[in-house]
Amino acid sequence: MATTTISKNIPVPKKLSHGLSVTTRAITNSRTPLGIACFYGLLILLILAPIYPAMAQANFQAIINSGVFAAMLGGHITNFFNFSALLAVEVFSSIYGLLFGGFVAWIGGAVLPVTIEDGTLDLALSRPISRTRYYLESWFAVLIGTVIISLVLALGVWIDTFIVSNSGVDWPWMWLTLLVQWAFLFFAAGLGMFCGSFINASRAAGGTAVGIVVLGYLINTFGGLSNQFQWVLKISPFYYAPAIDPLINHHLTLWYPWVLVVAGLILGIAGLVVFNKRDFPAV
Amino acid sequence: MTTQEQVIVIDKLEKSYGKIQAVRGISMSVQRGEIFGFLGPNGAGKTTTIRCMLDVIRPSAGTIRVLGIDAQRDKLALHKHIGYLPGEVRLPGTMTGKQVIDYFSRLQGLEPVLLNDLIARFDVEVKRPMKGYSKGMRQKIGIVLAFMCDPEVLILDEPTSGLDPLLQKTFHELLLEEQARGKTIFMSSHIMSDVEKVCQRVAVIRSGELVTIEEVDKLREKAGQRVIVEFGDTVTKEELAAIPGVIDVTKNNRAYHLDVGGSMDPLIKSFSRHEVLRMQAEEAPLEEVFLKFYEEPEKATMTKQ
Repeated sequence: MATTTISKNIPVPKKLSHGLSVTTRAITNSRTPLGIACFYGLLILLILAPIYPAMAQANFQAIINSGVFAAMLGGHITNFFNFSALLAVEVFSSIYGLLFGGFVAWIGGAVLPVTIEDGTLDLALSRPISRTRYYLESWFAVLIGTVIISLVLALGVWIDTFIVSNSGVDWPWMWLTLLVQWAFLFFAAGLGMFCGSFINASRAAGGTAVGIVVLGYLINTFGGLSNQFQWVLKISPFYYAPAIDPLINHHLTLWYPWVLVVAGLILGIAGLVVFNKRDFPAV
Repeated sequence: MTTQEQVIVIDKLEKSYGKIQAVRGISMSVQRGEIFGFLGPNGAGKTTTIRCMLDVIRPSAGTIRVLGIDAQRDKLALHKHIGYLPGEVRLPGTMTGKQVIDYFSRLQGLEPVLLNDLIARFDVEVKRPMKGYSKGMRQKIGIVLAFMCDPEVLILDEPTSGLDPLLQKTFHELLLEEQARGKTIFMSSHIMSDVEKVCQRVAVIRSGELVTIEEVDKLREKAGQRVIVEFGDTVTKEELAAIPGVIDVTKNNRAYHLDVGGSMDPLIKSFSRHEVLRMQAEEAPLEEVFLKFYEEPEKATMTKQ
Protein backbone atom coordinates (compact mmCIF):
# COMPACT_ATOMS: atom_id res chain seq x y z
CA MET A 1 0.00 0.00 0.00
CA ALA A 2 1.27 3.44 -0.83
CA THR A 3 1.68 5.57 2.23
CA THR A 4 2.13 9.22 1.64
CA THR A 5 1.70 12.24 3.75
CA ILE A 6 -0.34 15.21 2.79
CA SER A 7 1.67 17.43 0.47
CA LYS A 8 3.02 20.42 2.29
CA ASN A 9 2.25 22.86 -0.47
CA ILE A 10 -1.47 22.58 -0.80
CA PRO A 11 -3.02 25.10 -3.15
CA VAL A 12 -6.15 26.97 -2.21
CA PRO A 13 -9.01 25.06 -3.85
CA LYS A 14 -10.34 26.73 -6.96
CA LYS A 15 -14.07 27.16 -7.28
CA LEU A 16 -16.02 24.59 -9.23
CA SER A 17 -19.36 25.34 -10.81
CA HIS A 18 -22.35 23.51 -9.30
CA GLY A 19 -23.87 23.32 -12.73
CA LEU A 20 -27.07 21.31 -12.51
CA SER A 21 -25.42 18.41 -10.75
CA VAL A 22 -28.52 17.45 -8.78
CA THR A 23 -30.69 17.58 -11.91
CA THR A 24 -28.27 15.38 -13.83
CA ARG A 25 -28.10 12.94 -10.95
CA ALA A 26 -31.90 12.86 -10.64
CA ILE A 27 -32.36 12.15 -14.35
CA THR A 28 -29.81 9.36 -14.09
CA ASN A 29 -31.67 7.88 -11.13
CA SER A 30 -34.94 8.07 -13.09
CA ARG A 31 -33.62 6.64 -16.32
CA THR A 32 -35.30 3.25 -15.93
CA PRO A 33 -38.94 4.36 -15.48
CA LEU A 34 -38.41 7.17 -17.97
CA GLY A 35 -36.99 4.75 -20.49
CA ILE A 36 -39.85 2.33 -19.96
CA ALA A 37 -42.42 5.10 -20.45
CA CYS A 38 -40.76 6.21 -23.69
CA PHE A 39 -40.45 2.61 -24.85
CA TYR A 40 -44.14 1.89 -24.22
CA GLY A 41 -45.18 5.09 -25.95
CA LEU A 42 -43.06 4.39 -28.99
CA LEU A 43 -44.07 0.73 -29.08
CA ILE A 44 -47.78 1.49 -28.96
CA LEU A 45 -47.44 4.12 -31.68
CA LEU A 46 -45.34 1.92 -33.93
CA ILE A 47 -47.80 -0.96 -33.59
CA LEU A 48 -50.80 1.26 -34.34
CA ALA A 49 -49.62 2.25 -37.80
CA PRO A 50 -49.44 -1.25 -39.33
CA ILE A 51 -52.69 -2.40 -37.70
CA TYR A 52 -54.66 0.70 -38.63
CA PRO A 53 -55.85 -0.58 -42.05
CA ALA A 54 -57.37 -3.68 -40.44
CA MET A 55 -58.94 -1.69 -37.63
CA ALA A 56 -60.38 0.79 -40.09
CA GLN A 57 -62.25 -2.07 -41.77
CA ALA A 58 -63.81 -3.27 -38.54
CA ASN A 59 -66.84 -1.50 -37.18
CA PHE A 60 -65.87 -0.28 -33.73
CA GLN A 61 -68.09 2.75 -33.80
CA ALA A 62 -70.83 1.18 -31.70
CA ILE A 63 -68.32 0.19 -29.03
CA ILE A 64 -66.60 3.58 -29.08
CA ASN A 65 -69.96 5.31 -28.76
CA SER A 66 -70.96 3.38 -25.65
CA GLY A 67 -71.12 5.33 -22.40
CA VAL A 68 -68.73 2.97 -20.65
CA PHE A 69 -66.09 3.28 -23.31
CA ALA A 70 -66.52 7.03 -23.48
CA ALA A 71 -66.07 7.21 -19.72
CA MET A 72 -62.89 5.14 -19.93
CA LEU A 73 -61.52 7.29 -22.74
CA GLY A 74 -62.57 10.53 -21.16
CA GLY A 75 -64.62 11.70 -24.09
CA HIS A 76 -66.82 10.80 -27.05
CA ILE A 77 -65.42 9.96 -30.47
CA THR A 78 -68.16 10.35 -33.01
CA ASN A 79 -66.09 9.48 -36.04
CA PHE A 80 -63.76 6.54 -35.64
CA PHE A 81 -62.84 6.22 -39.29
CA ASN A 82 -59.51 8.00 -39.36
CA PHE A 83 -56.04 7.53 -37.91
CA SER A 84 -56.35 10.44 -35.48
CA ALA A 85 -59.32 8.72 -33.91
CA LEU A 86 -57.26 5.58 -33.40
CA LEU A 87 -54.51 7.70 -31.85
CA ALA A 88 -57.10 9.31 -29.62
CA VAL A 89 -58.31 5.94 -28.37
CA GLU A 90 -55.00 4.21 -27.97
CA VAL A 91 -52.65 6.94 -26.91
CA PHE A 92 -54.21 10.32 -26.22
CA SER A 93 -57.31 9.41 -24.24
CA SER A 94 -57.45 9.27 -20.48
CA ILE A 95 -55.38 6.13 -20.81
CA TYR A 96 -52.51 8.49 -21.63
CA GLY A 97 -52.89 10.15 -18.28
CA LEU A 98 -53.08 6.81 -16.52
CA LEU A 99 -50.07 5.31 -18.25
CA PHE A 100 -47.71 8.22 -18.79
CA GLY A 101 -49.05 10.27 -15.91
CA GLY A 102 -48.53 7.23 -13.73
CA PHE A 103 -44.91 6.94 -14.81
CA VAL A 104 -44.28 10.63 -14.19
CA ALA A 105 -46.00 10.48 -10.79
CA TRP A 106 -43.78 7.52 -9.88
CA ILE A 107 -40.64 9.32 -11.05
CA GLY A 108 -41.61 12.49 -9.20
CA GLY A 109 -42.48 10.58 -6.07
CA ALA A 110 -39.23 8.67 -5.97
CA VAL A 111 -36.77 11.34 -7.01
CA LEU A 112 -36.19 12.74 -3.51
CA PRO A 113 -36.61 9.64 -1.28
CA VAL A 114 -34.20 7.64 -3.42
CA THR A 115 -31.48 10.05 -2.31
CA ILE A 116 -32.34 9.33 1.31
CA GLU A 117 -32.10 5.61 0.61
CA ASP A 118 -28.82 5.77 -1.30
CA GLY A 119 -27.18 8.05 1.26
CA THR A 120 -26.50 10.96 -1.07
CA LEU A 121 -28.94 13.39 0.56
CA ASP A 122 -27.04 13.62 3.85
CA LEU A 123 -23.78 14.15 2.04
CA ALA A 124 -25.37 16.67 -0.32
CA LEU A 125 -26.99 18.73 2.42
CA SER A 126 -23.69 18.87 4.31
CA ARG A 127 -22.42 20.85 1.34
CA PRO A 128 -23.23 24.46 0.43
CA ILE A 129 -26.43 23.68 -1.43
CA SER A 130 -29.74 24.85 -0.05
CA ARG A 131 -32.66 22.52 0.40
CA THR A 132 -34.63 24.79 -1.96
CA ARG A 133 -32.09 24.43 -4.73
CA TYR A 134 -31.86 20.69 -4.19
CA TYR A 135 -35.63 20.32 -4.42
CA LEU A 136 -36.02 22.62 -7.43
CA GLU A 137 -33.25 20.87 -9.33
CA SER A 138 -34.92 17.53 -8.64
CA TRP A 139 -38.27 18.89 -9.80
CA PHE A 140 -36.63 20.27 -12.91
CA ALA A 141 -35.28 16.80 -13.64
CA VAL A 142 -38.79 15.35 -13.49
CA LEU A 143 -40.07 18.08 -15.80
CA ILE A 144 -37.30 17.31 -18.27
CA GLY A 145 -38.60 13.76 -18.16
CA THR A 146 -42.11 14.94 -19.05
CA VAL A 147 -40.77 16.86 -22.04
CA ILE A 148 -38.83 13.80 -23.16
CA ILE A 149 -41.99 11.66 -23.00
CA SER A 150 -43.96 14.24 -25.00
CA LEU A 151 -41.24 14.54 -27.64
CA VAL A 152 -40.94 10.76 -27.96
CA LEU A 153 -44.69 10.52 -28.54
CA ALA A 154 -44.48 13.28 -31.13
CA LEU A 155 -41.68 11.34 -32.79
CA GLY A 156 -43.82 8.21 -32.79
CA VAL A 157 -46.74 10.01 -34.42
CA TRP A 158 -44.41 11.53 -37.01
CA ILE A 159 -43.02 8.10 -37.89
CA ASP A 160 -46.59 6.80 -38.17
CA THR A 161 -47.45 9.45 -40.74
CA PHE A 162 -44.92 7.82 -43.05
CA ILE A 163 -46.40 4.35 -42.53
CA VAL A 164 -50.09 5.21 -42.71
CA SER A 165 -51.12 6.60 -46.05
CA ASN A 166 -53.40 9.61 -45.78
CA SER A 167 -53.06 9.59 -42.02
CA GLY A 168 -54.82 12.95 -41.85
CA VAL A 169 -52.95 14.03 -38.73
CA ASP A 170 -53.48 17.73 -38.21
CA TRP A 171 -50.13 18.76 -36.78
CA PRO A 172 -51.09 22.10 -35.19
CA TRP A 173 -53.89 20.35 -33.28
CA MET A 174 -51.58 17.43 -32.56
CA TRP A 175 -49.12 19.80 -30.87
CA LEU A 176 -51.98 21.37 -28.92
CA THR A 177 -53.04 17.88 -27.84
CA LEU A 178 -49.52 17.13 -26.71
CA LEU A 179 -49.45 20.42 -24.81
CA VAL A 180 -52.72 19.61 -23.07
CA GLN A 181 -51.36 16.22 -22.12
CA TRP A 182 -48.08 17.76 -21.04
CA ALA A 183 -50.11 19.91 -18.62
CA PHE A 184 -51.34 16.64 -17.14
CA LEU A 185 -47.80 15.38 -16.86
CA PHE A 186 -46.84 18.66 -15.17
CA PHE A 187 -49.59 18.04 -12.62
CA ALA A 188 -48.39 14.45 -12.12
CA ALA A 189 -44.85 15.72 -11.57
CA GLY A 190 -46.00 18.19 -8.91
CA LEU A 191 -48.07 15.47 -7.26
CA GLY A 192 -45.07 13.15 -7.19
CA MET A 193 -42.79 15.83 -5.76
CA PHE A 194 -45.31 16.57 -3.01
CA CYS A 195 -45.55 12.89 -2.04
CA GLY A 196 -41.76 12.52 -2.15
CA SER A 197 -41.23 15.54 0.08
CA PHE A 198 -42.51 13.79 3.18
CA ILE A 199 -42.39 10.02 2.46
CA ASN A 200 -38.96 8.53 3.11
CA ALA A 201 -39.23 5.39 0.99
CA SER A 202 -39.05 5.87 -2.77
CA ARG A 203 -41.45 3.06 -3.63
CA ALA A 204 -43.97 4.23 -1.08
CA ALA A 205 -43.78 7.80 -2.33
CA GLY A 206 -43.97 6.83 -5.99
CA GLY A 207 -46.72 4.35 -5.28
CA THR A 208 -48.76 6.92 -3.37
CA ALA A 209 -48.52 9.36 -6.25
CA VAL A 210 -49.49 6.67 -8.77
CA GLY A 211 -52.37 5.66 -6.54
CA ILE A 212 -53.71 9.20 -6.58
CA VAL A 213 -53.48 9.27 -10.37
CA VAL A 214 -55.37 5.98 -10.55
CA LEU A 215 -57.97 7.36 -8.17
CA GLY A 216 -58.35 10.35 -10.45
CA TYR A 217 -58.84 8.02 -13.40
CA LEU A 218 -61.50 6.00 -11.57
CA ILE A 219 -63.33 9.17 -10.58
CA ASN A 220 -63.19 10.31 -14.18
CA THR A 221 -64.49 6.94 -15.40
CA PHE A 222 -67.35 6.59 -12.93
CA GLY A 223 -68.24 10.23 -13.22
CA GLY A 224 -68.68 9.78 -16.91
CA LEU A 225 -70.98 6.78 -16.58
CA SER A 226 -74.00 8.66 -15.49
CA ASN A 227 -75.29 12.21 -15.42
CA GLN A 228 -75.83 11.81 -11.68
CA PHE A 229 -72.07 11.64 -11.14
CA GLN A 230 -71.13 14.52 -13.39
CA TRP A 231 -70.22 16.66 -10.41
CA VAL A 232 -67.40 14.32 -9.33
CA LEU A 233 -65.73 14.70 -12.70
CA LYS A 234 -64.52 18.16 -11.78
CA ILE A 235 -62.37 16.90 -8.92
CA SER A 236 -60.50 14.55 -11.19
CA PRO A 237 -57.41 15.96 -12.95
CA PHE A 238 -58.35 13.92 -16.00
CA TYR A 239 -61.35 16.18 -16.50
CA TYR A 240 -59.01 19.05 -17.35
CA ALA A 241 -56.98 17.13 -19.92
CA PRO A 242 -59.57 15.97 -22.46
CA ALA A 243 -57.08 15.37 -25.25
CA ILE A 244 -59.71 13.82 -27.47
CA ASP A 245 -61.31 17.23 -27.88
CA PRO A 246 -58.39 19.05 -29.53
CA LEU A 247 -57.26 15.98 -31.46
CA ILE A 248 -60.60 14.86 -32.90
CA ASN A 249 -63.01 17.75 -32.49
CA HIS A 250 -60.43 20.49 -32.93
CA HIS A 251 -61.77 22.19 -29.86
CA LEU A 252 -59.96 23.28 -26.72
CA THR A 253 -61.25 24.85 -23.52
CA LEU A 254 -58.28 27.12 -22.96
CA TRP A 255 -58.40 27.36 -19.18
CA TYR A 256 -58.60 23.60 -18.58
CA PRO A 257 -54.88 22.87 -18.98
CA TRP A 258 -54.09 25.88 -16.75
CA VAL A 259 -56.00 24.23 -13.92
CA LEU A 260 -53.56 21.33 -14.14
CA VAL A 261 -50.54 23.61 -14.35
CA VAL A 262 -51.67 25.65 -11.35
CA ALA A 263 -52.52 22.50 -9.39
CA GLY A 264 -49.11 21.05 -10.24
CA LEU A 265 -47.42 24.26 -9.14
CA ILE A 266 -49.33 24.35 -5.87
CA LEU A 267 -48.45 20.75 -5.11
CA GLY A 268 -44.83 21.25 -6.06
CA ILE A 269 -44.50 24.37 -3.92
CA ALA A 270 -46.25 22.66 -1.02
CA GLY A 271 -43.68 19.89 -1.35
CA LEU A 272 -40.90 22.46 -1.27
CA VAL A 273 -42.24 23.95 1.97
CA VAL A 274 -42.42 20.49 3.56
CA PHE A 275 -38.95 19.57 2.32
CA ASN A 276 -37.49 22.74 3.80
CA LYS A 277 -39.01 22.22 7.20
CA ARG A 278 -38.60 18.53 7.83
CA ASP A 279 -35.93 16.41 9.48
CA PHE A 280 -34.30 13.66 7.46
CA PRO A 281 -33.75 10.20 8.89
CA ALA A 282 -30.27 8.83 9.33
CA VAL A 283 -29.37 6.22 6.74
CA MET B 1 -4.43 29.02 30.29
CA THR B 2 -4.48 30.74 26.95
CA THR B 3 -7.92 31.45 25.59
CA GLN B 4 -8.12 29.80 22.20
CA GLU B 5 -10.64 30.55 19.51
CA GLN B 6 -13.77 28.49 19.92
CA VAL B 7 -14.55 27.02 16.52
CA ILE B 8 -17.58 24.94 17.50
CA VAL B 9 -19.94 26.21 20.18
CA ILE B 10 -22.98 24.16 21.13
CA ASP B 11 -25.24 25.91 23.60
CA LYS B 12 -28.08 24.15 25.39
CA LEU B 13 -28.89 21.95 22.42
CA GLU B 14 -32.11 20.00 22.65
CA LYS B 15 -33.71 17.67 20.18
CA SER B 16 -36.97 15.87 20.69
CA TYR B 17 -38.85 13.44 18.53
CA GLY B 18 -42.34 13.72 19.89
CA LYS B 19 -42.11 12.63 23.52
CA ILE B 20 -38.64 11.18 23.11
CA GLN B 21 -35.83 13.54 24.05
CA ALA B 22 -32.82 12.51 22.06
CA VAL B 23 -30.61 15.39 23.23
CA ARG B 24 -31.26 17.20 26.48
CA GLY B 25 -29.66 20.59 26.73
CA ILE B 26 -26.01 19.82 26.01
CA SER B 27 -23.41 22.56 25.86
CA MET B 28 -19.79 22.25 24.80
CA SER B 29 -17.16 23.97 22.73
CA VAL B 30 -14.25 22.90 20.54
CA GLN B 31 -11.16 25.02 20.12
CA ARG B 32 -9.30 25.72 16.91
CA GLY B 33 -6.76 23.05 16.07
CA GLU B 34 -8.26 20.57 18.48
CA ILE B 35 -9.25 16.98 17.83
CA PHE B 36 -12.33 16.55 19.98
CA GLY B 37 -13.79 13.16 20.74
CA PHE B 38 -17.47 12.63 21.26
CA LEU B 39 -18.28 9.32 22.91
CA GLY B 40 -21.34 7.58 24.14
CA PRO B 41 -23.21 4.29 23.99
CA ASN B 42 -25.58 3.44 21.17
CA GLY B 43 -28.59 5.73 21.11
CA ALA B 44 -26.94 8.31 23.37
CA GLY B 45 -27.45 11.19 20.93
CA LYS B 46 -24.08 11.46 19.19
CA THR B 47 -25.36 11.21 15.63
CA THR B 48 -28.34 13.41 16.47
CA THR B 49 -25.98 16.12 17.72
CA ILE B 50 -23.83 15.85 14.61
CA ARG B 51 -26.82 15.99 12.28
CA CYS B 52 -28.05 19.11 14.09
CA MET B 53 -24.65 20.68 13.43
CA LEU B 54 -25.19 20.07 9.72
CA ASP B 55 -28.83 21.20 9.73
CA VAL B 56 -29.94 17.84 8.36
CA ILE B 57 -32.20 17.80 11.39
CA ARG B 58 -33.36 20.90 13.24
CA PRO B 59 -32.78 21.38 16.97
CA SER B 60 -35.83 21.74 19.20
CA ALA B 61 -33.93 24.34 21.22
CA GLY B 62 -30.45 25.76 21.63
CA THR B 63 -27.91 27.04 19.18
CA ILE B 64 -24.93 25.72 17.33
CA ARG B 65 -22.26 28.02 15.95
CA VAL B 66 -19.35 26.82 13.87
CA LEU B 67 -16.63 29.30 12.88
CA GLY B 68 -18.89 31.94 14.35
CA ILE B 69 -21.66 31.07 11.88
CA ASP B 70 -25.11 29.96 12.99
CA ALA B 71 -25.46 26.39 11.78
CA GLN B 72 -29.19 26.72 11.18
CA ARG B 73 -29.51 30.24 9.81
CA ASP B 74 -26.40 30.52 7.66
CA LYS B 75 -25.72 26.96 6.75
CA LEU B 76 -24.74 27.71 3.15
CA ALA B 77 -21.91 29.97 4.29
CA LEU B 78 -20.87 27.43 6.91
CA HIS B 79 -20.90 24.36 4.70
CA LYS B 80 -18.23 25.82 2.46
CA HIS B 81 -15.82 25.16 5.31
CA ILE B 82 -16.97 21.77 6.56
CA GLY B 83 -16.05 18.24 5.64
CA TYR B 84 -18.49 15.59 6.85
CA LEU B 85 -18.22 11.84 7.19
CA PRO B 86 -21.54 10.15 8.07
CA GLY B 87 -21.81 7.26 10.49
CA GLU B 88 -22.67 4.87 7.72
CA VAL B 89 -21.38 5.61 4.25
CA ARG B 90 -24.00 4.53 1.77
CA LEU B 91 -23.61 5.52 -1.83
CA PRO B 92 -25.48 4.65 -5.04
CA GLY B 93 -24.45 1.27 -6.37
CA THR B 94 -24.58 2.42 -9.96
CA MET B 95 -22.03 5.19 -9.51
CA THR B 96 -18.30 4.61 -9.61
CA GLY B 97 -16.04 6.09 -6.98
CA LYS B 98 -14.88 8.70 -9.47
CA GLN B 99 -18.44 9.73 -10.30
CA VAL B 100 -19.24 10.06 -6.62
CA ILE B 101 -16.18 12.20 -6.05
CA ASP B 102 -16.98 14.41 -9.06
CA TYR B 103 -20.59 14.84 -7.97
CA PHE B 104 -19.78 15.90 -4.44
CA SER B 105 -16.87 18.09 -5.55
CA ARG B 106 -19.33 20.04 -7.69
CA LEU B 107 -21.81 20.29 -4.86
CA GLN B 108 -19.03 21.54 -2.62
CA GLY B 109 -18.14 24.05 -5.32
CA LEU B 110 -14.44 23.53 -4.73
CA GLU B 111 -11.66 21.68 -6.48
CA PRO B 112 -10.65 18.57 -4.53
CA VAL B 113 -7.03 19.57 -3.97
CA LEU B 114 -6.24 16.69 -1.63
CA LEU B 115 -7.86 14.03 -3.81
CA ASN B 116 -4.76 12.43 -5.30
CA ASP B 117 -2.97 12.37 -1.95
CA LEU B 118 -5.92 10.71 -0.26
CA ILE B 119 -6.46 8.16 -3.01
CA ALA B 120 -2.81 7.16 -2.87
CA ARG B 121 -2.69 7.17 0.91
CA PHE B 122 -5.77 5.03 1.44
CA ASP B 123 -5.35 2.99 -1.73
CA VAL B 124 -8.85 3.89 -2.85
CA GLU B 125 -10.45 2.15 -5.81
CA VAL B 126 -12.43 4.69 -7.86
CA LYS B 127 -13.17 3.01 -11.17
CA ARG B 128 -15.58 0.27 -10.11
CA PRO B 129 -19.30 0.77 -9.46
CA MET B 130 -20.04 1.19 -5.78
CA LYS B 131 -22.24 -1.90 -5.63
CA GLY B 132 -19.09 -4.01 -5.70
CA TYR B 133 -17.57 -2.14 -2.77
CA SER B 134 -17.16 -3.60 0.68
CA LYS B 135 -17.96 -1.58 3.79
CA GLY B 136 -14.31 -0.70 4.22
CA MET B 137 -13.99 0.46 0.62
CA ARG B 138 -17.05 2.68 0.99
CA GLN B 139 -15.65 4.06 4.22
CA LYS B 140 -12.47 5.03 2.39
CA ILE B 141 -14.52 6.86 -0.22
CA GLY B 142 -16.35 8.59 2.61
CA ILE B 143 -13.03 9.71 4.10
CA VAL B 144 -11.94 11.03 0.72
CA LEU B 145 -15.21 12.94 0.33
CA ALA B 146 -14.78 14.52 3.77
CA PHE B 147 -11.17 15.62 3.36
CA MET B 148 -10.71 16.18 -0.36
CA CYS B 149 -11.62 19.87 -0.56
CA ASP B 150 -9.35 20.72 2.39
CA PRO B 151 -12.07 21.98 4.74
CA GLU B 152 -11.35 24.00 7.82
CA VAL B 153 -13.57 21.94 10.10
CA LEU B 154 -14.10 18.20 9.94
CA ILE B 155 -17.13 16.54 11.45
CA LEU B 156 -16.65 12.79 11.50
CA ASP B 157 -19.16 10.23 12.72
CA GLU B 158 -17.41 6.98 13.62
CA PRO B 159 -14.68 7.53 11.04
CA THR B 160 -12.74 4.30 11.48
CA SER B 161 -15.76 2.04 11.23
CA GLY B 162 -14.98 -0.75 8.75
CA LEU B 163 -11.29 0.09 8.44
CA ASP B 164 -8.64 -2.52 9.08
CA PRO B 165 -6.01 -1.78 11.77
CA LEU B 166 -3.45 -0.59 9.23
CA LEU B 167 -5.89 1.87 7.70
CA GLN B 168 -6.94 3.01 11.14
CA LYS B 169 -3.31 3.87 11.79
CA THR B 170 -3.15 5.70 8.46
CA PHE B 171 -6.29 7.57 9.36
CA HIS B 172 -4.91 8.59 12.76
CA GLU B 173 -1.78 9.90 11.04
CA LEU B 174 -3.99 11.91 8.69
CA LEU B 175 -5.90 13.43 11.59
CA LEU B 176 -2.73 14.45 13.35
CA GLU B 177 -1.34 16.00 10.18
CA GLU B 178 -4.54 17.92 9.61
CA GLN B 179 -4.44 19.10 13.18
CA ALA B 180 -0.87 20.30 12.65
CA ARG B 181 -2.18 22.29 9.67
CA GLY B 182 -4.62 24.05 11.95
CA LYS B 183 -7.77 22.10 11.18
CA THR B 184 -10.39 21.48 13.81
CA ILE B 185 -11.81 17.98 14.06
CA PHE B 186 -14.96 16.85 15.84
CA MET B 187 -15.35 13.11 15.83
CA SER B 188 -17.69 10.65 17.41
CA SER B 189 -16.49 7.15 18.04
CA HIS B 190 -17.10 3.91 19.83
CA ILE B 191 -13.49 2.94 19.45
CA MET B 192 -11.45 3.96 22.49
CA SER B 193 -8.15 3.60 20.69
CA ASP B 194 -9.26 6.39 18.30
CA VAL B 195 -9.77 8.64 21.26
CA GLU B 196 -6.61 7.68 23.09
CA LYS B 197 -4.40 8.11 20.07
CA VAL B 198 -5.60 11.37 18.58
CA CYS B 199 -8.00 13.34 20.79
CA GLN B 200 -7.03 16.12 23.12
CA ARG B 201 -10.40 16.29 24.85
CA VAL B 202 -13.42 14.08 24.94
CA ALA B 203 -17.05 14.56 25.82
CA VAL B 204 -19.17 11.64 26.92
CA ILE B 205 -22.89 11.69 26.27
CA ARG B 206 -25.38 9.24 27.72
CA SER B 207 -29.14 9.21 27.21
CA GLY B 208 -28.98 12.64 25.60
CA GLU B 209 -27.11 14.25 28.47
CA LEU B 210 -23.51 15.30 28.67
CA VAL B 211 -21.82 13.30 31.40
CA THR B 212 -18.35 14.76 31.29
CA ILE B 213 -15.87 16.75 29.23
CA GLU B 214 -12.24 16.03 30.08
CA GLU B 215 -8.77 16.26 28.66
CA VAL B 216 -7.51 12.87 27.58
CA ASP B 217 -4.26 13.34 29.53
CA LYS B 218 -6.22 13.90 32.73
CA LEU B 219 -8.29 10.85 32.00
CA ARG B 220 -5.10 8.84 31.62
CA GLU B 221 -3.99 10.06 35.02
CA LYS B 222 -7.33 9.04 36.47
CA ALA B 223 -7.08 5.63 34.83
CA GLY B 224 -3.67 5.21 36.44
CA GLN B 225 -1.61 2.11 35.88
CA ARG B 226 -2.25 -1.59 35.98
CA VAL B 227 0.40 -3.63 37.77
CA ILE B 228 0.64 -7.41 37.64
CA VAL B 229 2.95 -8.88 40.25
CA GLU B 230 3.88 -12.35 41.46
CA PHE B 231 5.55 -12.78 44.82
CA GLY B 232 7.81 -15.55 46.01
CA ASP B 233 6.72 -15.10 49.64
CA THR B 234 3.32 -14.76 51.22
CA VAL B 235 1.59 -11.42 50.65
CA THR B 236 -2.01 -10.79 51.54
CA LYS B 237 -4.51 -8.92 49.48
CA GLU B 238 -5.26 -6.63 52.39
CA GLU B 239 -1.62 -5.69 52.71
CA LEU B 240 -1.49 -4.67 49.06
CA ALA B 241 -4.80 -2.80 49.27
CA ALA B 242 -3.41 -0.73 52.12
CA ILE B 243 -0.53 0.65 50.04
CA PRO B 244 -1.14 4.35 49.26
CA GLY B 245 -2.33 4.82 45.67
CA VAL B 246 -3.70 1.30 45.22
CA ILE B 247 -7.31 1.56 44.03
CA ASP B 248 -8.19 -2.07 43.56
CA VAL B 249 -6.58 -5.51 44.06
CA THR B 250 -7.63 -8.79 42.52
CA LYS B 251 -5.91 -12.15 42.60
CA ASN B 252 -5.64 -14.35 39.55
CA ASN B 253 -3.96 -17.70 40.31
CA ARG B 254 -0.65 -16.67 41.83
CA ALA B 255 -0.53 -13.14 40.44
CA TYR B 256 -2.01 -10.00 41.94
CA HIS B 257 -3.56 -7.38 39.63
CA LEU B 258 -3.43 -3.90 41.09
CA ASP B 259 -4.99 -0.72 39.77
CA VAL B 260 -2.77 2.14 40.89
CA GLY B 261 -3.41 5.85 40.70
CA GLY B 262 -0.89 8.58 41.25
CA SER B 263 2.75 7.95 42.12
CA MET B 264 4.20 4.44 41.91
CA ASP B 265 6.78 5.18 44.59
CA PRO B 266 4.84 3.80 47.64
CA LEU B 267 4.10 0.64 45.65
CA ILE B 268 7.73 0.05 44.67
CA LYS B 269 8.91 0.66 48.21
CA SER B 270 6.35 -1.83 49.54
CA PHE B 271 7.32 -4.44 46.96
CA SER B 272 10.98 -4.07 47.92
CA ARG B 273 10.16 -5.70 51.27
CA HIS B 274 9.08 -8.88 49.47
CA GLU B 275 10.50 -11.37 46.98
CA VAL B 276 9.14 -10.24 43.59
CA LEU B 277 9.17 -13.03 41.01
CA ARG B 278 7.56 -11.09 38.20
CA MET B 279 6.23 -7.59 37.73
CA GLN B 280 4.56 -5.92 34.81
CA ALA B 281 3.20 -2.38 34.69
CA GLU B 282 1.20 -0.72 31.95
CA GLU B 283 -1.15 2.20 31.60
CA ALA B 284 -4.65 1.18 32.46
CA PRO B 285 -6.84 1.31 29.37
CA LEU B 286 -9.01 4.38 29.08
CA GLU B 287 -11.80 2.08 28.05
CA GLU B 288 -12.54 1.24 31.63
CA VAL B 289 -12.76 4.91 32.54
CA PHE B 290 -15.20 5.53 29.73
CA LEU B 291 -17.23 2.47 30.54
CA LYS B 292 -17.76 3.86 33.99
CA PHE B 293 -19.31 6.94 32.42
CA TYR B 294 -21.36 4.77 30.11
CA GLU B 295 -22.72 2.48 32.81
CA GLU B 296 -22.74 4.05 36.24
CA PRO B 297 -24.45 7.38 36.65
CA GLU B 298 -23.54 7.56 40.36
CA LYS B 299 -19.83 7.51 39.56
CA ALA B 300 -20.01 10.10 36.81
CA THR B 301 -19.39 13.68 37.75
CA MET B 302 -20.07 16.77 35.71
CA THR B 303 -16.79 18.48 34.96
CA LYS B 304 -16.29 21.17 32.41
CA GLN B 305 -13.13 22.53 30.96
